[in-house]
Amino acid sequence: MIAHTRSWITRYGVVAALIAMSVVATLVAPGFFSLANASTILLHVSINGILTLGMTFVIITAGIDLSVGSLLGLAGVLVAGALTAPGLIAVVGVGGAAVVATLIGLAVGAAVGIANGALTAYLSINPFIVTLAMMTVARGAARLVTGGVPIGFPPMGDPHFQDKVAALDALHAFGGGRIPIPGTAQGFPVPALVMLALVFLSALILDRTRFGRYVYAVGGNEEAARLSGVPVRGVKVGVYAIAGACAGLAGVLMVGQLRSGGPDAGLLYELNAIAAAVIGGASLMGGIGSAWGALTGALLIGVLNNALDLMGVQAFWQEIAKGAIILLAVLFDVWTKQRNGGTTQ
Amino acid sequence: MTLLTLRGITKRYPGVTALDAVDLDIDPGTVHALVGENGAGKSTLLKIVAGAERPDAGVMTWKGQPIAAPTPREALLRGVTVIYQELMLAPNLSAAANIYLGTEPGHRGLLDASAMRHRAATALADLGLVIDPDQPVGELSVAQRQLVELARALVRDAQLVALDEPTATLTAHEVAHLVAQIEWLRAKGIAVVFVSHRLDEIRRLADSITVLRDGHRVWTGPAAGIDERTLIRTMVGRDVVFERCPPNRKADAEPVLSVRDVSRGRAMRNVSFDVKRGEILGLGGLVGAGRSEVARVLAGIDRPEAGSLSLRGQPYRPRSPADAIRAGVVYFPEDRKRQGLVLGMRIRENVTLPVLSRVSRGGLLQAGAERHLAQTAATRADVRPPDIERLAGTLSGGNQQKVVLAKWLLTDAEVLIFDEPTRGVDIGAKTEIHRQIRALADAGKAVIVISSELPELIALADRAVVMREGRVQGELAEPLTPEAVMALAFRSA
Repeated sequence: MIAHTRSWITRYGVVAALIAMSVVATLVAPGFFSLANASTILLHVSINGILTLGMTFVIITAGIDLSVGSLLGLAGVLVAGALTAPGLIAVVGVGGAAVVATLIGLAVGAAVGIANGALTAYLSINPFIVTLAMMTVARGAARLVTGGVPIGFPPMGDPHFQDKVAALDALHAFGGGRIPIPGTAQGFPVPALVMLALVFLSALILDRTRFGRYVYAVGGNEEAARLSGVPVRGVKVGVYAIAGACAGLAGVLMVGQLRSGGPDAGLLYELNAIAAAVIGGASLMGGIGSAWGALTGALLIGVLNNALDLMGVQAFWQEIAKGAIILLAVLFDVWTKQRNGGTTQ
Repeated sequence: MTLLTLRGITKRYPGVTALDAVDLDIDPGTVHALVGENGAGKSTLLKIVAGAERPDAGVMTWKGQPIAAPTPREALLRGVTVIYQELMLAPNLSAAANIYLGTEPGHRGLLDASAMRHRAATALADLGLVIDPDQPVGELSVAQRQLVELARALVRDAQLVALDEPTATLTAHEVAHLVAQIEWLRAKGIAVVFVSHRLDEIRRLADSITVLRDGHRVWTGPAAGIDERTLIRTMVGRDVVFERCPPNRKADAEPVLSVRDVSRGRAMRNVSFDVKRGEILGLGGLVGAGRSEVARVLAGIDRPEAGSLSLRGQPYRPRSPADAIRAGVVYFPEDRKRQGLVLGMRIRENVTLPVLSRVSRGGLLQAGAERHLAQTAATRADVRPPDIERLAGTLSGGNQQKVVLAKWLLTDAEVLIFDEPTRGVDIGAKTEIHRQIRALADAGKAVIVISSELPELIALADRAVVMREGRVQGELAEPLTPEAVMALAFRSA
């Protein structure tokens, strides 16, 4: 019941491509087909997957959000800063600091997202420009508060060394932890679990709630939606808030994983998220896209990177391959639309 | 010798014959007016003269020579310039560059900018427009831009200039200036064809008049030989397709919605009228008379700059379409593809869009309840086939219009405003939509119908308010005749 993909062939085309790529990778890439590697792929995909989910909401409304990579960086340094603040740990304890830091990450992301949405919706500024500006502002802010160096793991001799490391460890359980699976050496990565939960939640929102229906209506025909009484501005603020909160959460997970927040974390991640959303079938013209598509698109990029890694292919070639896949996905989409005679529009 | 002759020109579009065996003769040094209702075929005729459309049948000759394969470029080189309502100028380029667009003087690919500037300035001055030829056209007023297009005709040595409703958006002063320029062109021996809805100016300016009605040429003759009343009758006189049904309902005594002295820019000025439950009020007038602007204010899309609205005796100030829908006022927009439907969504999703709160609990949609609601509405509006899971974009025009109707039926609104409810739909769907509109009034709703098709307006309305140039010209009750509506819609200034 994914109602808003274009046709059978586009709905399952990406899934078929993902399966085909996995089969090929199994044959040519040593060590690809294993539980350990599957868990590695999922861990690597989870940050981009979460960003892609938020991006998909925005793209369905015919918008774009270029600020999510920088926002991840900004949220990350604030999370790392809060987590290692001795005063906070003293008041709420190590576990409490991890919770507060997570909430700060989400709140910062959502707040900047609301600003993006408000500027787009109420001042009618093109979202490309609004989020491009916000991308620069957020990155600058991240470098400003850190002085350009990562914050997090304390130096030897830090008076609060024990507390800080304990707090970072507490968040690491969230961002880098694994849930043991009986009979295997490695467990299931927690960030991947978070991503999958968000896929279910996003699918529920998009397919089963009033807000989700409004998201498709705004992207499909903003004028008709407005005349039908849809609160178009509110919907726009909502989708940018979701994209921002996803970026904030991704920042939290990254700090947890790395035990530090770097001002340059998430550089150009917005482009990966846009690529995954488009590969997953979202249309930049709006009105089309799905949560499962976002997951598939992110997985496709993840499997490609992983297989090329295992085959020892140079990173530069990986970038070229990723670009080619994006073009192929879009060409495939144009081709199927022409073959269907463009009946949906 | 006759400059341009058209014989038996016929143009068909899918489902409609825009021009049916039309003859036309244009002589040099004369002004020929084309008149008729909206959709009579005037614009199509101009496009054929311009070479922009190929006739399906008929012969055109230019100075006695048949024109074999008319194209816009060929017509231009021959000496034909057509100035459309939407001016064809590049706003960021200078006046001089626009005047010479496509015919730039120069050597070996380099523009002769000074010659262009100099000659453009001369042509503009001939037309009484003193501007810097380097000024971007986007900074000029509509009237000035029109003169730039006329200057373009002059530098190309045009022998025939055609203008499509050139005075529709001009002030009285600007009209006077344009009229003087047209007279000057005539004195130079240039043939002028122009389309206008202003009968006074036609009678002042034109040497001869051709009346078009439903794609037929119904009358051609000297302007001096016809009075205004006869002209109006010639324009509208035709078989009435729709019977006027005397209403078998009784309207309330008190109005449910009152509009008082509402103004917004130049589009609507001091508009006042009432509408009651159980009646169909027709809003008559020409395209651009300000009727849709009135509807948009009532529907909460635009805010009035002055005046007041009241609904059920209470002040009514909708701040958004959502507000208006909650208050029980809905707007059936004139452009269903742009404003009425989300074409990429299913029928079900389209019709429940304004009423989703009724089929959701805590924001969560109840799929069964939504399907039931959508199915009921689609069946009631006679969507065929009543398959609510079809994409709206795959439906015919008439069915799309019925989906929009189904959507508004679900809102249980008290005031329904229909803007061109049957534009571009087939006769079967049209009859059905008319039946639905009457049923709504019978059920005690207040209905406002805007239609540029006079027979439709006459057939549906119990009472009509006629607008012209943003103002209410008058109100008509029984007997509601096409001639009466047209006389108000066209009344000379």
